[in-house]
Amino acid sequence: MSGYDSALSIFSPDGHVFQVEYALEAVKRGTCAIGVKGKDVVVLGAERRTTLKLQDPRVTPSKINNVDKHVLLAFAGLNADARILIDKARVEAQSHRLNLEDPVSIEYLTKYVAGVQQRYTQSGGVRPFGISTLIAGFDGNDNVPRLYQTEPSGIYSAWKAVAIGRSSKTVNEFLEKNYLQLEESDVTLDRDRTIKLTIKALLEIVQTGAKNIEISVMAPNETIQLSNDEIAAVVEQVEAEKAAEAEKKQKKK
Amino acid sequence: MSRRYDSRTTIFSPEGRLYQVEYALEAISHAGTAIGVLANDGVVLAAEKKVTSKLLEQDSSAEKMYILNDNMICAVAGMTADAGILINNVRITAQGYLKTYNENIPCEMLVRHLCDIKQGYTQHGGLRPFGVSFIYAGYDERYGFQLYTSNPSGNYSGWKATSVGANNSSAQTLLKQDYKNDINLEEAKNLALKVLSKTMDSSSLTSEKIEFATITKNSNGNIVHRIWKPEQIDQLLHDSGLVEKDEDDEEN
Amino acid sequence: MDIVLGIKVSDGVVIATSKAATRGISILKDTDDKTRDLSDHNLMAFTGESGDTVQFAEYIQANIQLYNMREGHELSPYAVSHFVRNTLAKSLRSRKPYQVNALLAGYDTDKKTPSLSWIDYLGTKADLPYAAHGYAAFYTLSLLDHHYRKDMTVEDGLRLLKLCNKELNTRMPIDFKGLQVKVVNKDGVKVVDGEW
Repeated sequence: MSGYDSALSIFSPDGHVFQVEYALEAVKRGTCAIGVKGKDVVVLGAERRTTLKLQDPRVTPSKINNVDKHVLLAFAGLNADARILIDKARVEAQSHRLNLEDPVSIEYLTKYVAGVQQRYTQSGGVRPFGISTLIAGFDGNDNVPRLYQTEPSGIYSAWKAVAIGRSSKTVNEFLEKNYLQLEESDVTLDRDRTIKLTIKALLEIVQTGAKNIEISVMAPNETIQLSNDEIAAVVEQVEAEKAAEAEKKQKKK
Repeated sequence: MSRRYDSRTTIFSPEGRLYQVEYALEAISHAGTAIGVLANDGVVLAAEKKVTSKLLEQDSSAEKMYILNDNMICAVAGMTADAGILINNVRITAQGYLKTYNENIPCEMLVRHLCDIKQGYTQHGGLRPFGVSFIYAGYDERYGFQLYTSNPSGNYSGWKATSVGANNSSAQTLLKQDYKNDINLEEAKNLALKVLSKTMDSSSLTSEKIEFATITKNSNGNIVHRIWKPEQIDQLLHDSGLVEKDEDDEEN
Repeated sequence: MDIVLGIKVSDGVVIATSKAATRGISILKDTDDKTRDLSDHNLMAFTGESGDTVQFAEYIQANIQLYNMREGHELSPYAVSHFVRNTLAKSLRSRKPYQVNALLAGYDTDKKTPSLSWIDYLGTKADLPYAAHGYAAFYTLSLLDHHYRKDMTVEDGLRLLKLCNKELNTRMPIDFKGLQVKVVNKDGVKVVDGEW
C-alpha cells in the first residue's frame, strides 16, 4: 500500500496530491453548471435533476444560490458540501458589509471561497470540498459583469464563459467556439443573446429540454430567475434554428 | 482494489466517490423499513420494528419514533444509537431558535441543521459518518405540513410519500401506485399500513412489529403530534382490516 | 434628549427620529439618521449611548440580512423583534452591555399586518399602538392617548405626528433639529419628505 492517496494533504513522489484530484472527479460526477458573461449581464445556467413523482418540487435544492443581493453562486459536485461552503460565503458577505460598510466585490468573495477550499486541502484530518463553483455578479456602483470559477484545489480564475461538472469538456468546447465566433463577428452579447447562448450550451448535454434547466440572469441591481415557460420559449427557438440549419445543409447536398 | 479507500475515515476514491458514506447507506438498506405519507391535514410515519428475541421485554417505549420539537417528529432507519446523538443536537437547536425568535423553527431549517452535522462527519474530524437515515414530519406556518428524508451524506429532500430502510424501492413503487394528491390523514394512515404490511418480512401485522406516529392539527388549530401506544396501534390495525389479511386476501 | 417616536396605523407604521446628533452640550450634526433598514419591511429606530447604538443596529442588520439570504425569505417583524430583545437580554448579562433602546417597525407581508415593538436596553419588549423613548414620550404620549384611533391610515398617522412635532417644538428645552420621518408599509420602508 503506497499510502500517498489515503493520507490527506500529502504529495506523492511524482508530485500529485491525490485527494484533490479525486475531489475533481466528484465534481465531474455532479450535474453541469454554466456561466456566460454578456455586455452588461451575466447569466448562470444549470442542469436540474428531474424531480420524482412523489417528490416535493419546492425543496429540490437549486444549484444557483444567492450569496448576497449582488452575488450568485452556482456549483457542481456534492450537494451537502456545497451547502456548507455557500453558508460560509454568506456569512463572509454579511460580515464584510458589517465591518467595511461595503458589499463584497465579486473577486473578493471568489478569493474567500477559494481560500476556504484551499485550506481543506492542507489541514489535518479533512478531505477537500467535492465541488467547483461559479461566482457571478456585479461590484457595488459598477456595471461590469464578473464571472469567476473556483476548484477543490483552491485555484480560482476569471472567465468570459465557462462550464463545470458533468460533460463540462463538451460544453466548454462549445462555448469556446461559439463565444469567440460571436466576438469576432462583432455581435454584442445583449441580454437575450447571452441567455440564448447559455441555454444553447446547456442543450448540448441536456436532452430533456426546459424542464431540466434552470437559468438566473444578473444585471446591475437585479437578479432574475427565469420561469420554466421563459426557458421553454428559448429552447423552442434554439431548436427551430437548429432544424432550419439542418435543412439548409440538406439542400446544399 | 478499492480496499485502500474504504478502511480509513471518509476520503475520496479515485472515481471521486465517498465509500464510507456509500457503506453507511448500504447498512441502512438492511434496517427496518420506515414510511412517511403526507396528507392535506397531517403527516403519518410508520416503521417496522424488528423483534430479535421472544424474551425481549415489550415495553411501550418507541425505538424509532422521536419528537424533535412541538412542530416536528421523525422516524429513524439505521443505527439508533447514532440517531440519538443527532436528535439531542437538533432538539437543542430547536429550543435555541424558539428562545431567540419566540416561534417554532421552520421545518426545513431544522432538517438542514441536522444535515449540516451529518455532512461535517463526512468531511472532517476523522470520524465515520452517521449511520442513519431519517424521515421527518412537521408543520410550519409558511409551508404547512411537510415531509422530508435525509441520509448519511448530509443530503435531504422533500416528499409527498417516501420510505427508507429495507425494501424501500418496492415500498416506493407501491406508494407511487397508490398515492393521490390531497388525501386526508385517514387515507394516509391506511396507505402507510398497507405499504408497510406488503414490504415487511413477517406476514402478520401487530403492534409488536410496527411503530406509528402522526402529526396533525386539533380542533383548536394547534399542532399535535402523537407516538402511538401499542393498544392504539392494535385498534388501528383492527379498524383498517389489515389484521385478518391472511384469511381474506381477496378483499384487499 | 433624542426623540424616537412610532405610531402604528391600520396599513403601516410611522417612525420619527430627531436629526440632531449631540455630544455633551454641543450639536455635532443636524442630519443624523437614528434608524437602520433591517430588511425590506423591517425598520429599527434607536437611541442610547452613542457608538453603542450604531454598532448594535448594524450588527442586528447584518444578522437579519444573513437570515434572509440563508432562508430565501424575509423574517417576520414578530421574529425580528424577539431576536432584538433576545440579543439585548443576552448583552445585558455580559461584561459590557449595549446601552441601546429601540423601536421596531415592521410590516408582515404574509399576515398583512403592521407591527410596532418597544424594546429597552434591559430586554423589555412591548407591542404597542404608539410608542416613544426618552423625553419625547413625556411630551407626546398624552396627545397620542387623546387622538389615536385604531383605524387610522398612514395619512392620519402623519397628521397626528405633526401635532406631536408641534408640541415637541413648543415644549422641548433644546433644539432637536427637526425630525426624520419614515413609513413602513406593504411597499417597504420610505422616507417621508417635507418640513418636519
